[in-house]
Amino acid sequence: MRSGRSDRSVAASIGSVSSPTRVFATVDRGTASTAVALIGRMGGRHRLLGSTGGPVGVPDDALLERLRRRIDAADHELAAALGIDQPGVMADLPRLVCATAKAPVLAVIAATHRIVGPLAAVAETAGWQVRALVIDGSDILEVATALADRRVDAILAGASEPPGADERGLIGELGTLVAATTERRPDLVTVLAGGLASPGGRTETLFRPDRPGPTVLAPSPADDDGEPLRSLLDSLRGGHDDGRRALAAAAGSLARVLRRRVEVLEIGQSGGSRTLASWQPGTGSLVRTAAVARAALLPRPFTEADLDAVIGWLPISLDRLRTRDRLREMATAPWGDAAGDGATLRMAMVRAATGRLLDLTPSFEDLPAPDLVVASGGAWLAAPATATALAVADVARRPGARAVGVDHARVLAPIGAIEDDDDRARLLAELRDDLLVPLGTIVTAGGLRAARTVGSLTVHGEGGPVEVELVPGSVELVDVPPGERATIELRFRDPVDLGVRARHLALDVTGGLGGLIVDLRDVPLRLPDRLEPRRELLASWQALVWPGFDQ
Amino acid sequence: MSVAVPTPSWLDEIPLHRLVDRGLETSVPLPPGDRPLVEPGTVVLPGDLLLEHVRDRRVAEVDVRTPDGDRPLAGSRWAPVPGRRRRAEHLADGELLAPMPGKSSRWRLVTGEHRAQITSSVAGIVIEVRPGAMIRLRIEGLALRGAFAAGASARGRLELATDPFGDLRPGGIDVGRTGSILVVGSRIDAEALTRARAMGVRGIVAASIAGKDLRDFQASERRQRAALHVPEPFGVLALDGAMKRTIATPVAALLERLAGREVALLVDPPALVFDGTGIDLPQVAPDWVRVRSGPNLGAEGRVLELVGLRRFAGGVHLEAARVELDGEAPFEMPLGDLERLG
Repeated sequence: MRSGRSDRSVAASIGSVSSPTRVFATVDRGTASTAVALIGRMGGRHRLLGSTGGPVGVPDDALLERLRRRIDAADHELAAALGIDQPGVMADLPRLVCATAKAPVLAVIAATHRIVGPLAAVAETAGWQVRALVIDGSDILEVATALADRRVDAILAGASEPPGADERGLIGELGTLVAATTERRPDLVTVLAGGLASPGGRTETLFRPDRPGPTVLAPSPADDDGEPLRSLLDSLRGGHDDGRRALAAAAGSLARVLRRRVEVLEIGQSGGSRTLASWQPGTGSLVRTAAVARAALLPRPFTEADLDAVIGWLPISLDRLRTRDRLREMATAPWGDAAGDGATLRMAMVRAATGRLLDLTPSFEDLPAPDLVVASGGAWLAAPATATALAVADVARRPGARAVGVDHARVLAPIGAIEDDDDRARLLAELRDDLLVPLGTIVTAGGLRAARTVGSLTVHGEGGPVEVELVPGSVELVDVPPGERATIELRFRDPVDLGVRARHLALDVTGGLGGLIVDLRDVPLRLPDRLEPRRELLASWQALVWPGFDQ
Repeated sequence: MSVAVPTPSWLDEIPLHRLVDRGLETSVPLPPGDRPLVEPGTVVLPGDLLLEHVRDRRVAEVDVRTPDGDRPLAGSRWAPVPGRRRRAEHLADGELLAPMPGKSSRWRLVTGEHRAQITSSVAGIVIEVRPGAMIRLRIEGLALRGAFAAGASARGRLELATDPFGDLRPGGIDVGRTGSILVVGSRIDAEALTRARAMGVRGIVAASIAGKDLRDFQASERRQRAALHVPEPFGVLALDGAMKRTIATPVAALLERLAGREVALLVDPPALVFDGTGIDLPQVAPDWVRVRSGPNLGAEGRVLELVGLRRFAGGVHLEAARVELDGEAPFEMPLGDLERLG
């Protein structure tokens, strides 16, 4: 927790803010936008007073002052009681701050493609922008030039353990090239993994011991599914207030508070992250996280395939050249063009980015499915909440039922900057009703047979039972308002995949702005290859959930 | 445009785009083999030598023995000891790339026959030289930042080819423009860019360049650079982006004042650098705004007030401002689509 106007936060502790101060601010500085929120202590517990955001570059204090004015205008007595009824008080307010930055560049090098593949795959999930290089069959001069490139921030060199027959003759070359690069750029962080990492081994001795940059010995990408290497690489990037690491910590505490499995899908301008957190009595929170630079809204480099992915999710007709130009504009002014078809374009970008995030984290699919999916990051806030719920259903396609919420105030990551898990959990427990906007519950059924109807759904809610016929390929929406719970009965003619294979299933679901979404489309989603019918299909789904959507 | 009124604090909520920056840093690539001709602390003027670029880089193997027996560092320069008879392939001089694996005195050397001397397009001071990586300079003078650039950094006399609203067609460029950096108004296409380069123009400044035209130009530029004949440096700078709009009025006013002066067009970072001595920078009213994105792109006017969250097309709720653009009746538009200049 820090006070005043300094640019960086310090390690935080909710204990130090809760006792002397009645209100504090959270600041989530992204690469495109900044979100601020005010959290006040009322009635013996913390409550979210409000939140707002603005383009990056707009001073935090200006955003906080806007928020203060609104709170004061809405409830002057409350503002006076919290001491925020006068202009200028925001500057001295304690703050929890986190920040995300552009992904640094990691040159990943190995003797052969066989070795560099797993290394690069792990590095891709540690928040680095990866440039993979191999010695075998390459021009040495080109490789040396790529390693010394001024845009490279660190090098990861690796070999299998023990080195395979295909790489043994090239290991020496690999070591001398990397060591020579550190002589050109002595401050370069260099990570030696797997077979290159034996302490005092031949490769390490090639490096000058007096150079300022560290040489880090790292485990093999084959160890424990690459998690130790990923964790090490993740720790080498970003500052101590890194927003993505903080978000992962907050997800772990949230799982502990809710006693549920929580998945956070975060998409931002500079990258994305996926965190799956669970909690079990005795073992505490288990958190698996991955930060993926390629999951940025506009990844670097932005390839034709990336453009195709965005166009593939567009429910409106925009020609390829114009779409590319609009995306380029969004790269320079990511906060602009947010209304009208700009919002539709942004949601297509979010879907494409989330698709890349999920594709690059396949090991998460082996973990138990989440009970709650949280959409986080400014990109998800581009559309009405119901459209956001459909976007989650479109890309995160696991059979079963899960609640969906959105981190609307972007407070999760700043709260994750609190160092102590107990402090974090205490604050999250107090804020649990304010943290997330409930979007509803998504029920996804897989393995449906082609037929006119495949069964029926009965929703037992506060307004009496509602019966819905289930049609394969459709999305059924049932109004279950936020705060309401309902029991649903799903009856299928044949067994289907709902996380478990069953014909008849009863579930308790929670409501939200999007209500209950029963998704009977293919798992994974199959869309027409031709653009026109594809757009029409996407538009028909979008029209269901997006008030004001104009094709 | 010159107004001296106190700036309301709420204007801070509108993104501010600086008209000019000072103390900009730029870096010049220095790939293995290229020889730096400056060192940290060197003061450079436009036209001063920065580095010797090897155009046909190749790797040779040499025996490197230092008089004291120390191992040399990668990135060091190496030349054969004069006076000894050697085979022709051992006469090359160049930069030590890396030792051969397992042979401490046998090195790979980056060398080449065709060398070109690269000069600085800006005045400044060298703050870092990293052999094989880059030369970093802190620029002296003022910089008008752009959105993106392509080609190579160049220097020339600034000329206005059209008014800020105009497009420049290929036929409008002739050899009379040789050595100039042309301001071409709202947009330019790839054909006009390649013609400008062929006519000896050193650079183009436009409000916007469409992505397709930029890619076509970059492909043409790569072909030019691959040729044996070294072309004159030619750069293109898009001030705002890829979608068509006019040059902002204060920027156009600044460019008019710079007409006839020597300026440098930088590619990394994208900027137009000039000596600010004697230049009266345009004053911009604090409530002056320009539409940066979305509908009304490029329109200019005044922001009257911030109005809070409003519902816009597509059913999205965005922070909004009440603005008066191009003399039309006031209306509300998303705050994020606006920018101030200052």
